[in-house]
Amino acid sequence: MSELRPITALGAVLPRFGSFGALEIRENAAMALASLALRFGTVEPMPFGLILPGPGRWVAGQGVAALWTGPGQWMIEAECCIELDFAAELKQAAPRCSVTEQTDGWVAFEIISRAGAIPLEALLSKLVNIDPADFGPGRATRTGLQHMSCFVVRRGDTHVVVLGARSSAGSLWDALETAAKRLEEKVT
Amino acid sequence: MLIPHPSLGPRDAEEFTYLGDSRLLDRPDPNAPDAESAFCDYVFLRDNPAGVHRELWFHEQGDRSWLVVTRDTVTHQVLGAEMARDVALARKGSGA
Repeated sequence: MSELRPITALGAVLPRFGSFGALEIRENAAMALASLALRFGTVEPMPFGLILPGPGRWVAGQGVAALWTGPGQWMIEAECCIELDFAAELKQAAPRCSVTEQTDGWVAFEIISRAGAIPLEALLSKLVNIDPADFGPGRATRTGLQHMSCFVVRRGDTHVVVLGARSSAGSLWDALETAAKRLEEKVT
Repeated sequence: MLIPHPSLGPRDAEEFTYLGDSRLLDRPDPNAPDAESAFCDYVFLRDNPAGVHRELWFHEQGDRSWLVVTRDTVTHQVLGAEMARDVALARKGSGA
């Protein structure tokens, strides 16, 4: 039997990490994703105890989180179980909803600032058409980032994650790295 | 140009793609006796007003909802936006 070895979205054995001044960008290869959609006339479920967020919002629970992706639709993320069938677990937790496995469709880049919110907001201002003043912790939106459609989630004051299509992981990393490097050059 | 999305607030028009006249929501009944001529008008005939126009926009790089945007084609001023789903359901409900 062939020896199959899993690789990350960027084609390596280990997730990529980069540090640019006050910002660090880390490929998160340990996140399981599944989408959840309400069917007509069903009530909103509370999968894993999460109260599903409203438009433009993200909520986190114990090891799981949910972001609003459209009317009656959410993306559920889990930090634990990339090797397990997370979509099946979600389907059990919300049996009357439509659930679709999404893990291998996306790449997640966690961006963390070590010097407060300002470098992070400067980076966002360069990359996406979002008003940073109205994008505090718990906000999430889908938008265009260099012509790629991405979800941008403000996990915390100094922490943002960008979810993009796995097939354009290299281009997305390049976009983030280039913008972060230019910010770093500007500071020094 | 900003489009006031009913649930997400003002969003850049670049995130949207434009389809056209919102009368496309009024699809004729394919079983009606005059279906052929009704569909001919539906597919090919459009008003092209200089002024207020109701049109369909798709939030492609966003929540992927369809909106009915009311826009002045002379000034590009956007006068309002509604979820196309709500507009279509309201029409269906009123029997129009």
